[in-house]
Amino acid sequence: MTAAGSSYRRAVGSQARVVALAGAVLLVVGSVLPWARFSGFPGKMTLAGPGGARIGPLLLALVAALLLRQVPGSARAVRAASTFAFLITGLTVFFIGYSGGGADYVNAGAWVALAGALVYLLGGLGLDPSRPASSPPRSLPDAPWALPAEWLLTAGSTAVALYVFVHGLGIQSANVGRPNDVVIRGAISINALTNDGEFLAFLLLLIGLALVATRLGLLADLSAITKKHPTVFLAAGMIAATAFPFTQNGNGYALRIAASIGVFAAAAVGLNIVVGLAGLLDLGYIAFFGVGAYVAALVSGSVTSTIHTHIPFVFVIFLGAAVAGLFGILLGAPTLRLRGDYLAIVTLGFGEIFRITANNLDGNSGPSLTNGPNGVSNIPDLTIGSFSFGDNHHFLGVDLPFQANYYWLEIVVLVVVMTAFLRLSESRIGRAWVAIREDELAAAATGINTTRLKLLAFALGATLAGAAGTVDAHVVKVATPDSFTFLESALLLAAVILGGMGTVPGALVGATILYLIPEKLRFLQDLRLLVFGVVLVLIMRFRPEGLIPSSRRKREFHDDSGGADALSMPPGHGEHMA
Amino acid sequence: MQTFLQQLVNGVVLGATYGLVALGYTMVYGIVQLINFAHGEIYMLGGFGALFTYTVLLPGGTPVVLALVLMLLGGMVVSITAALLMERFAYRPLRGAPRLAPLITALGVSIFLQELVRNFYPAKSPRPFPQLVDPSHQFSLGASVEISAPRLLTVVVAVIGMVALSTFVRRSRTGRAMQATAQDPDTARLMGIDTDRIIVTAFVLGAALAAVSGLASGLQFGTVDPRMGFLTGVKAFTAAVLGGIGNISGAVLGGFTLGIVEVMATQYAPDPFSGGAWKDAWAFVVLILVLVFRPSGLLGERVAARA
Amino acid sequence: MSMLEVRDLRVAYGAIEAIKGISLDVDEGQVVTLIGTNGAGKTTTLRTVSGLLRPVSGEILFDGQRLDTVKAHEIVKQGIAHSPEGRRIFPLMTVEENLELGAYTRKGDSIAKDVGAVFDRFPRLLERRAQKAGTLSGGEQQMLAIGRALMSSPRLLMLDEPSMGLSPIMIQLIFETIAELKSTGTTILLVEQNASAALALADVGYVLETGRVVLSGPGKELLKDENVRKAYLGED
Repeated sequence: MTAAGSSYRRAVGSQARVVALAGAVLLVVGSVLPWARFSGFPGKMTLAGPGGARIGPLLLALVAALLLRQVPGSARAVRAASTFAFLITGLTVFFIGYSGGGADYVNAGAWVALAGALVYLLGGLGLDPSRPASSPPRSLPDAPWALPAEWLLTAGSTAVALYVFVHGLGIQSANVGRPNDVVIRGAISINALTNDGEFLAFLLLLIGLALVATRLGLLADLSAITKKHPTVFLAAGMIAATAFPFTQNGNGYALRIAASIGVFAAAAVGLNIVVGLAGLLDLGYIAFFGVGAYVAALVSGSVTSTIHTHIPFVFVIFLGAAVAGLFGILLGAPTLRLRGDYLAIVTLGFGEIFRITANNLDGNSGPSLTNGPNGVSNIPDLTIGSFSFGDNHHFLGVDLPFQANYYWLEIVVLVVVMTAFLRLSESRIGRAWVAIREDELAAAATGINTTRLKLLAFALGATLAGAAGTVDAHVVKVATPDSFTFLESALLLAAVILGGMGTVPGALVGATILYLIPEKLRFLQDLRLLVFGVVLVLIMRFRPEGLIPSSRRKREFHDDSGGADALSMPPGHGEHMA
Repeated sequence: MQTFLQQLVNGVVLGATYGLVALGYTMVYGIVQLINFAHGEIYMLGGFGALFTYTVLLPGGTPVVLALVLMLLGGMVVSITAALLMERFAYRPLRGAPRLAPLITALGVSIFLQELVRNFYPAKSPRPFPQLVDPSHQFSLGASVEISAPRLLTVVVAVIGMVALSTFVRRSRTGRAMQATAQDPDTARLMGIDTDRIIVTAFVLGAALAAVSGLASGLQFGTVDPRMGFLTGVKAFTAAVLGGIGNISGAVLGGFTLGIVEVMATQYAPDPFSGGAWKDAWAFVVLILVLVFRPSGLLGERVAARA
Repeated sequence: MSMLEVRDLRVAYGAIEAIKGISLDVDEGQVVTLIGTNGAGKTTTLRTVSGLLRPVSGEILFDGQRLDTVKAHEIVKQGIAHSPEGRRIFPLMTVEENLELGAYTRKGDSIAKDVGAVFDRFPRLLERRAQKAGTLSGGEQQMLAIGRALMSSPRLLMLDEPSMGLSPIMIQLIFETIAELKSTGTTILLVEQNASAALALADVGYVLETGRVVLSGPGKELLKDENVRKAYLGED
């Protein structure tokens, strides 16, 4: 591949720039011409239509202008842009043709764009792929307007993130599939694939633009700036998150998904304390979440509960957290002295025991408590004082469906968990955890009480999961053993790893991606776990520090020793956490 | 008493399956300190490989013994191929990486293989497995204790496999090299041992034994299921730890012990925690207790030697 | 042409360069010693020669052939044996099995004869031939490690700190063994912290400091060098 690539680059030589520019121009022309001959496909393929099926190639084609003024990294940025422009154009043309029922339905603009994208790609691949020497992040010139500009950039970036998220959520399935759907091996439905084409194009555009920004160093610059103003960043993020329900026009669908992402993310951030900070691999984390959920389900006045009682939610959340924390201590105290991989297996065993027990406490196989596989259902809506979370509201002239109440509650839970994480990671305890993660023996030698601190991390993670579980029980209104399987634990772990261990944004991004992509790409639904298995392997192979690494982790992972060929690391490197 | 003896026999049969799979965990762990989480899937693939051989490749009317041998070979081919691919592309690039990175990779491989079979192996789940060895044919072991033909076969092939492996590791030149690599990989290279090849050998041997177990389970239970590798895998790992991970005889001992404990707990645990519904829970309780109280296992010395 | 030539070798652990351009030669039949404090790069040099580590740049030639791209297990076959720092015997195998593994790359009947030769050299090992090597004393383990290295019939024997952690009597015995090996014409590359004993024995010595050769010359001359005496022989 690399050999073929370099010989191709030699053949194209200096013509690559010209070819890429020509292709880009052609692509620009193509993308402003009409693409489809029928109105069925997303947004009738108007230029500004949703999903970026045409705006995407246009934007990515404009990146080629970088070739006119050589900036560091521009060649690699254009390579990425041309690749993704071609992918989006190709996919869209396929989808138009497929949903229309033949190539006849593809209009001239699409063919021009496709040709342009191909030429653009061929030129792009001929460009020099070598990485420019890394330079420190640039900053704004030292001028009076610099500070407000930095604030604006910081706040603006969160606004853009919110817009992207809302826009992505808002893309509805087009439902133009033909009746005779083709199903490949019982898994991939071509109709579902077509319906999801628009979201896929949007996703590819996002990835493409993110790559371009990364390769030009823009992302590094931006994150350096936002890091300078954490308060502005947080405030903007809070405002954006709070404002989200007002953008939904009374539609509860996106709010429901956002609320679920919130729970998932809260659990992921909690797990990140255990895994990312303290380096304890917990493969049964969902069980603690389940303990909280069952506690809430049993004592909140559900008619199906075996305990007929109704404790106010403000107490339930603490009760659930406490019970989960207790389980954490009970499990952790005897097992935390085990080495990392053994601990992982113990937690896995605990998770399975929890699920089996919840399944069996149905009055038949065991004492009656959980209703077995049916679970505790009909959990009533949350009420705090006289405020019921089940009511719709009308506020500032906007309809707010009841899902908004739960959404905001999730945001509160998420903020609490995030705050706990951030405060801890900067504290003495957090540094002690990192020390334990790096080298437990050395940490113990410096006087750190490793057992107690590991137990603290473990119990704290369990407590937070329990609290999140109580909230989730009210959101989904039912607690069943099936919701707390090993796969759920694995998914949470994957969210942490994908995003980047040891960082809050990492867990957030990871949770969002893992939840949203299968939700939006229904053709992936059956294959979701398959893809997810491959993704885990690929991440560990190529980017073990995750999408948003903490700076120290990045160093850890890329500090490969001169003896990369050696079978084992020098003593002392064996134990520390991935 | 009769019940007890019968349950003992049942435990031995169950333990034979665990022991065969546990050998794969223990060999790989002994050499590269990796919990090859996906090894349970290798066992599952062995069962599916055998099923595929029977339903697709073999002509009708193949004599039973020949069919069984060919099914075993088919299962082994699938298992070994999968093991080789995962070693080469998932684990080998991670040598020298922090310890938990390969464990997470193993998790990914495990999920991937399970889903691959679930989505792409034709027909519904669980898949019926041909009953080539008549399960209603019972052998009496005296005192009205009985064992059915496929279960007896399971124990017999398991014992053969275990003895063969143990002899290979203790007597052969490659077996010696495996021991050396397990004890000190760098020094093993200084002796001229190609440790990469030794690691591959461990994966291959483990996969072959897991395939034996996969076929035996298919014959015993009459079905194979893409999900069957997960539980068996975790339990086999328990067995390996119970015996002392890295120790070949330990894996066998651990397998039988776990099988017997599981069966006995299911039978004799205090009400209401007895019965099939709690079977797996007991296996995990044993797992946790073993790791807490004797993490080096019954015969374990390797862990101490290499901590 | 020297038997072993190391040219401008650089080796790094991640970003940390342990060897910053070392060159040295070992001629056939010579005993060459590397001395220096902890972290000077002595062990790293040996590990790179035997292929356990890969250099960042520079080259290693054995009989004029490039060695730095050959895999560790192939290097043994070319005739280099390495008795590693800390002895690193296989603790769960018997003394005899350890010796047989030393001859892993060889085939044939001569192996049993060579095991006998090692036992002749170290009668203590003969007494313990069926004992697990992990139960041996430090000195016995060192004998075993040297014996195991000899089992590959090497043309170049590399010994890494053979006297480390041993009693004075054992140290004396080990150095007598090295002197004996020298007298039979074995080529030896010796890494030692016990500088006086090593230099007294060596044809050539190299003094390493933080990854560089700071001084080199015939062993006897280095032994007389004022700086060496101050820094490594504890005199002021």
